[in-house]
Amino acid sequence: MMLVTILLISFVGAGVTYLVGKSIPRLRGIVASLVALLPLILLAFLYGRVISIDYASVPFLDINLSLRLTPLSWLFAVSIVVLGGLAVIFSTGYMRGKERPDYYYFMMLLVNGAMLGIVLSGDFFSFYIFWELMSWSTYLLISYRGGESLGAGMKYIIMSVIGSSAMLLAIASLYVSYGTLEISSLATALQSASIGYALFALMMFTIAFGIKNAVLPLHTWLPDAYAEAVSPFTAVLSGMLTRMGVYGFLLIMYAIMGFGLLDMFSYGPINYNIILAWAGALTIVIPTFIALLQNDAKKLLAWHGIGQGGYMILGIAFGSTLGIAGGIFHTLNHAIYIVLLFLVVAAVEYRTGGKRSLDELGGLIKRMPVSFVAGLAGISGLIGVPLTNGFVSKWLIYKTLVTEQYPFLAFAALVGTWGTILSVFKFLHNIFLGQLPEQYKDVEEVPWTMRAPMIVLTILIVLFGVLPGIPLRAISAIQTHLGMTPLQTSLFGMPKALGELNTLNIFFAVLAAGLVAYAVFSLARRSKRVSQYDNYAAGARVPVGQYQHSVKFYDQADRLIRPYLRDRIDDFYSWIAGVSTDFFEQLGKIYTGNVNTYATWIVLFVAVLIFMGLLGWKP
Amino acid sequence: MANVIRVVRTYTRGDHRGLILLDRADIKKALKDPHKWGEKYSLWVTYFCTGCGIIEIPPVITARWDAERFGVKPMATPRQANLFLITGYVSVKTLRAIIITYEQMPDPKYLVAFGSCPIDGGLYYTSYNTINHLDRYLPVDGWIAGCMPRPEAIFIAVTKLWKMIDGEMVDGYKRYRKNIDYYRKNQERVLGREFIESIPPPVTVET
Amino acid sequence: MDRLVCGGADLHGAVGVETMTTLMRVVWIIVLPIIALLISVLFLGLFRKVTARIQRRYGPPIYQPVIDLVKLFTQHSNISHGLMFDAGLIIALAGSVVTVLLIPAGGIHPLSSSGDLLVIIYLMLIPPIGMALSAGASGNPNASLGVSRKLILALGYEVPFLLVLLTVMTYTETTSLLNVVQMQAGSILSWGVFRFPLAALATFLILPVMLGVRPFDIIGAPQEISSGPQVEFGGKYLAFATVEHALHIFIVIALFVDLFLGGATNLGTFFLKMLVVFLIGAFIGAVYPRFRIDQALRYCWKWPTLFALSGLILVVIIGG
Repeated sequence: MMLVTILLISFVGAGVTYLVGKSIPRLRGIVASLVALLPLILLAFLYGRVISIDYASVPFLDINLSLRLTPLSWLFAVSIVVLGGLAVIFSTGYMRGKERPDYYYFMMLLVNGAMLGIVLSGDFFSFYIFWELMSWSTYLLISYRGGESLGAGMKYIIMSVIGSSAMLLAIASLYVSYGTLEISSLATALQSASIGYALFALMMFTIAFGIKNAVLPLHTWLPDAYAEAVSPFTAVLSGMLTRMGVYGFLLIMYAIMGFGLLDMFSYGPINYNIILAWAGALTIVIPTFIALLQNDAKKLLAWHGIGQGGYMILGIAFGSTLGIAGGIFHTLNHAIYIVLLFLVVAAVEYRTGGKRSLDELGGLIKRMPVSFVAGLAGISGLIGVPLTNGFVSKWLIYKTLVTEQYPFLAFAALVGTWGTILSVFKFLHNIFLGQLPEQYKDVEEVPWTMRAPMIVLTILIVLFGVLPGIPLRAISAIQTHLGMTPLQTSLFGMPKALGELNTLNIFFAVLAAGLVAYAVFSLARRSKRVSQYDNYAAGARVPVGQYQHSVKFYDQADRLIRPYLRDRIDDFYSWIAGVSTDFFEQLGKIYTGNVNTYATWIVLFVAVLIFMGLLGWKP
Repeated sequence: MANVIRVVRTYTRGDHRGLILLDRADIKKALKDPHKWGEKYSLWVTYFCTGCGIIEIPPVITARWDAERFGVKPMATPRQANLFLITGYVSVKTLRAIIITYEQMPDPKYLVAFGSCPIDGGLYYTSYNTINHLDRYLPVDGWIAGCMPRPEAIFIAVTKLWKMIDGEMVDGYKRYRKNIDYYRKNQERVLGREFIESIPPPVTVET
Repeated sequence: MDRLVCGGADLHGAVGVETMTTLMRVVWIIVLPIIALLISVLFLGLFRKVTARIQRRYGPPIYQPVIDLVKLFTQHSNISHGLMFDAGLIIALAGSVVTVLLIPAGGIHPLSSSGDLLVIIYLMLIPPIGMALSAGASGNPNASLGVSRKLILALGYEVPFLLVLLTVMTYTETTSLLNVVQMQAGSILSWGVFRFPLAALATFLILPVMLGVRPFDIIGAPQEISSGPQVEFGGKYLAFATVEHALHIFIVIALFVDLFLGGATNLGTFFLKMLVVFLIGAFIGAVYPRFRIDQALRYCWKWPTLFALSGLILVVIIGG
């Protein structure tokens, strides 16, 4: 019953927020935040339980629609609610003064509800309904602002629809073969399927979830979509929505098919898992290096969204205990810090009047220190600096790749970090460090409704980095539920059999070293604070507004690697789109508007039919 | 036992002829006042070529005369230097850069005029563009006469500077703070009020 | 593909960690960074002396960096460009010290059970990021230029270095640096440089890049970008930056010795091996002019990467 309540709150709450917004605008934000966060309380009570209930029936298909809660659903549901709620709270500040706020909140809450529906659904019919609901509400939010966003939204919806159609094909064929769409029944039924059929179903689902999770070469919708969407929504989009693909992969690969079936899709040393792992590895390397060529803050983070998705796919596809745990953990961690980073970009946009180009900002640390610290925590997590959550999940993935003797995959994963470091340092430097331009010297820090989510997420990054046992316990429960050996960890360390990682020791060591360094630092004379214009400029006065190195930050490396990093896949898809448009335009010339021509077509068509009838063809 | 170096072919007079004291390895003295010890044997020079005299500096820092054996190194940025050699004549244009650079150096700092021109205008004393008496605009701690002085003269100056640091006789930077109004008045007269008001104020420090 | 995780620490119980009592461990945690600091400052002075002698001049005494640090630290005035300017250096130094604690240095490894080689290479990211934050906070484009060069150079040498590390980890089937060192115990022939020679060759080729000696001292090029990230560092800030640079040299050379020269069982032998490696680096740095950053990048991605890659392929094929 609780599951139905959760979904009802989300959907009905969305409508209520819309009505409240239309009638009493002041309460809009409060109601939206309450609706977004209320399911968290219910979910907290449901920890550790496995429930499955039927909530409706479709008589003409002879199936029952059901909801179910498994440890996997629980983890994803909690992430959705928490991150979606924080984004909504942030929007209460961000959307002040923007147009059509009721519509925006309605869509945000609808997206949250749809995602909850996806993870809580127990059969593929509800799964598909909620999936489509999520897809087109995303489209509406991406093209919220009109203009250029329409193009980005169009790209997104076309690719998403292709994925959904593939999934629909698979679902329909499953229904026809087995007569049921219940996930748990399908899991047992598929064990006895022929390899060809199971592979077909798997490939259809892979296309759908690969498009959603932006695995190379299905990623081209993502950068434009993220850049054009409203910033707090981009946070949700990147954090949880794209990761519905990861949830789908986990569902189809491990909850339904299982290891035994997956092992059968092999041809010598090549099997489905390895191919998917290599796709994940390529998704790590190429997009993280494309990210360092970007000059738009949101596009840069978008390319990182694609790249980090590669880590998740790599971990999950690899299939070992550490790998799957690392992949799921990375999904959670990535959600936290990418939401944080997009909120930071939104905060900067809010105060600088919509600026997000990395060529025009600078020095904002002096006026927006909280946003800077949040940004620093976010990029530390993204890079995987030890003591942040990103490091632990990456460590798990590296460890499994190295110990299982797959050094090339490990190399792809490791070198992605360096592309990340370069690009996110450019991101942080061009926005917050350097000289503050004159036109921004009076900007203030963002209001409390916008600061609070950023602070919460920063704390989470460090907390999960130092005490990774907290989320890892939930992940071990998932692994037990999926029937594999679970990862055994303590609150802050890995057991001896796994190798060395003791985050608490490292934390205390860094803290102690930092305190000693600070003590030595204070022993010397106090330093005097000087303004940014009291700077070395070879004996000249600092030229105001012209003393910032942020344009072409990595010029020399850029020139060396840019020719290799064109997004040729995007060009390929655009070429196909262009060719198809031409073809269909030519085809549309049938409609000439002239009745005589139409009569000719009909006569010709009848002639062809008669001719074929004479030849003996019966339709 | 203190180290002793013998300076050959010196062109100066006074009490430096012959033997100079290099007490770098005197640990007791170093421990008594580590700051002075560090100050003396790690004099970093701002690598700012203010005038024609800079031609004498590269021989000093390269292999033949090797200033690095005394700890003297050229540094690219004034934030890291504590010795400023005004090498050669000072034009009005260069004075702007010299003032900004001098004020960016951290305390304690020493300004040594190298050549005859900063003393009284030297060769160019009738020019409209030369600053004839540098010590009216910036506090000079020592002078090296000559046009140009030889590299050995720089070593003499450095060793004399050691003695003066020991005796706490070089306080140019303190004089600059105390008499900032006097110096600013002179600087403004030559460089204009608009320039003086546009440079950042010198960092005041309590010693 | 339900593989069980194979233990990477089978040798752990055999030697070393368990025999160190907590008290000794705490003592070493405090003493080891101090020893590392002294040795690395000595190396800095040695570098200047060796360079001078190669250039046929006398050069400063070996303890010159001590004089420099004393002067910088006791300077009467320091200027700061804000909180991040101060904090970045403290973070960098803290990161360096913790990395020193994790690398086995001749039988002393107080914290090596808390982090393996993967943790070490990730902890090595903290100091450059801290310095980069400090440099960025100074608001000087020379500093930003220096930071961009530093990161590009790091990208350059990390590609072959990661391949080398993966070769070592695949060959020795462990990710623990302590195990790698212990596997090289025995005769000289079991040193890493003989077991995976291509990897050692690649690392030797990028050693000057990692140490930051000419021809790769591009980051703080005084003549080009006015000391790069350190352009606004004076007084205690420069002292901290120098100490951090010294510790970085220590970490890089200690890693090289542990991976390829068999580590050591006592501190004396360990520092002797470090000295040899450092002297080779100093000899290279004394005679070369400086590369441009794109030349450096091309250098790193050509022969060292080729050797490292072939080393890795060889190890994967022949077996490890």
